[in-house]
Amino acid sequence: MKILYLLLLVAAVATVRLLRRRARRASATRRARPSLDLAFLKGGVALVTWREVRQRVRGRMFRISTLVILAAIAAAIVIPTLHHAGSSSQRIGVVGPLSPALKRVVQNDVRANAGVAHLVNLSSASLAKRELASGKIDFAILNDRSIVVNSLRNSAHAAEIVQIARDLGVAQALSAAHLSTGQSALLARAHSLRVTSLKQQKASGANVGASVFGLILIFMMLQQYNTWTLIGVMEEKSSRVIEVLLSALRPLQLLTGKVLGISLVALAQATLIVTFSLVLAKSVGSNLLHGAASLEIVSILVWVLLGYAFYSWIYAAAGSMAERQEQIQALALPLSLPLVFGYVVSLIAAESGHATMLVSVLAYLPPTAPFAMPVLVGLSAVTWWGFLLSVLLSIVSTVAVAHLAARVYRRAILRTGARVHLREAFARY
Amino acid sequence: MAGELVLQGLRRRFGTLTALDDLSFSVSAGQVVGFLGPNGAGKTTTMRAIFGLTDLEAGTITWNGRAVDSTLRRRFGYMPEERGLYPSMGVGEQIEYLGRLHDMSAFDAREQTRYWLERLDLAQRALSKVESLSHGNQQRVQLCAALVHRPDLLILDEPLAGLDPNAIDTIGEVLVEQAKSGRCVLFSSHQLDQVESLCESVTIIDHGRLVATGSVDELATSGTRRLVVRVDEDRDARWAQHLPGVEVSEVSGGEVRLVVDPSLDSDVVLRAAMAAGHVSEFSFHRRSLSEVFREALR
Repeated sequence: MKILYLLLLVAAVATVRLLRRRARRASATRRARPSLDLAFLKGGVALVTWREVRQRVRGRMFRISTLVILAAIAAAIVIPTLHHAGSSSQRIGVVGPLSPALKRVVQNDVRANAGVAHLVNLSSASLAKRELASGKIDFAILNDRSIVVNSLRNSAHAAEIVQIARDLGVAQALSAAHLSTGQSALLARAHSLRVTSLKQQKASGANVGASVFGLILIFMMLQQYNTWTLIGVMEEKSSRVIEVLLSALRPLQLLTGKVLGISLVALAQATLIVTFSLVLAKSVGSNLLHGAASLEIVSILVWVLLGYAFYSWIYAAAGSMAERQEQIQALALPLSLPLVFGYVVSLIAAESGHATMLVSVLAYLPPTAPFAMPVLVGLSAVTWWGFLLSVLLSIVSTVAVAHLAARVYRRAILRTGARVHLREAFARY
Repeated sequence: MAGELVLQGLRRRFGTLTALDDLSFSVSAGQVVGFLGPNGAGKTTTMRAIFGLTDLEAGTITWNGRAVDSTLRRRFGYMPEERGLYPSMGVGEQIEYLGRLHDMSAFDAREQTRYWLERLDLAQRALSKVESLSHGNQQRVQLCAALVHRPDLLILDEPLAGLDPNAIDTIGEVLVEQAKSGRCVLFSSHQLDQVESLCESVTIIDHGRLVATGSVDELATSGTRRLVVRVDEDRDARWAQHLPGVEVSEVSGGEVRLVVDPSLDSDVVLRAAMAAGHVSEFSFHRRSLSEVFREALR
């Protein structure tokens, strides 16, 4: 908590200093600075944004990548349900007598786990064990006294068997107690006591699935759209169209239009992917996204946008410093390091189901927040104001980064030949 | 549409290289003005400075008395030396887009795009990608992009470079037509014969400084006088070798070209020639633009 207060304080001080510095510079310089007024946005920026959206959406790469992502998601959602559907029909061997009441208990418990029970009468325990070993039956009930399984496949399977065993035992005890109808009804309505854990609850498999899904989506989209920005800016420079564009536009207008255009495409693609995933998961009965609350989905969309908004300026500035493919590769590697670091640390946390201290800190650092914060949301390990604070920090940092990036872009985009270095980009002439 | 572009005291250095050194000149509307100078003279830097594409250390650029800013620049048309278009964007779509960036309505941009594509024989390629066009056609598309928004001032950096004679004629016609309609046209070129046939005025710079400016006629007839003399009995022009105030520029086929000091009376030259033999030719020679250019840079 102290870390959060400290971060908040640092962000507030940095913002105030930045605003005061800008105000001093604005009064000191004679050069007119572009202001974010309506005319600025309405004219060139809107046209650049619209061109960017059209060119990107029309591009073959965009269509193919969208289809590939949707196909991968469809496979991730549908294939487990096919496997699940195959195993939901359970063959249960019964050796010896089993009363109709006990049969109903078994059938109800299997149905509660989305399965159908097929009871098969077997002549002996040894036959039942052979059938279990060959996989012809899932488990066997021997003389209504014991349950035999070949192996417990996973925790869900174990929980299901334990549930059946307990319910059969309770049913037999109730039958043996010769209770009245009212007493039996009272016992039937009994429910467990509430359990409170002093330590954080581990996320369920469904929640983990949703968090991992969100992380992969955010990482893929940030990589894709940042690369678009990097290469798009570099191509405008290398094709020299930049001179024609900047004879009619201010550099900040061109840069803002490009970032906005790609942001819109990113938002549309992310919305399409999330909607498709939810609809498909619901229609096939997948539990992969079952635990994904609406807040988590909103969080994924918000952080795709905030993440792109933060990184896009940096990638655009980097793109303006290069004009050849090999120069781009040298620039892209160091830029992707914080992205990969945030992604890997968050992925490990999401899969473990625990919000580690490292992830909790990364969730408030703008370069890694797009990955860490959705994980905290998925694990219900963040308060609403913590989420809001991280969003605010990200927005403030984005404004500061955009300010610096616009300066680098303006100085570097018109310099041709060798790669422009940061020192040159900040030089006076 | 009348207007005047005035450049005053432009100064710009790149490291130790001085690109513009207190450069001043003006360009008036209704004229095609040739902007000349050797490689590295500062022509491209000057043109880029007009469009704010290079920072100036000193100097002002005004259009009709008003400092050129981003709003005014949208009334200018620019064709950069290194052609710049989106390679994978359609020809018509691209010109329309660039027109709209210059404050045109969607309808107007579409109509003007159609007009210029037809005017420059590109109507059949409207849907083609720019990268699929030949060099000459890409150059025409670039010119369309500079003209589509009916600019008041047209700045073209080497628009004739690498073009075949037909394309040069077409672009030349367009430039003259634009000037006649009251626009201001400034273009740079190393093809001096083309400049001489297209331009009414020229501005010559070297090492970032102005070395000559004025109408082509003025520059051709001003400065040192040139005489062409033929003396039948002295085909090697020995008579002129030691004549005070006279420099032999060229002797060819019995014809001698002389550069005569402005203070020297041409009768003195005529008498000296007649003393050497029969004078079959004696005429004043108008300097070609190439000669004007070379002498200005001497």
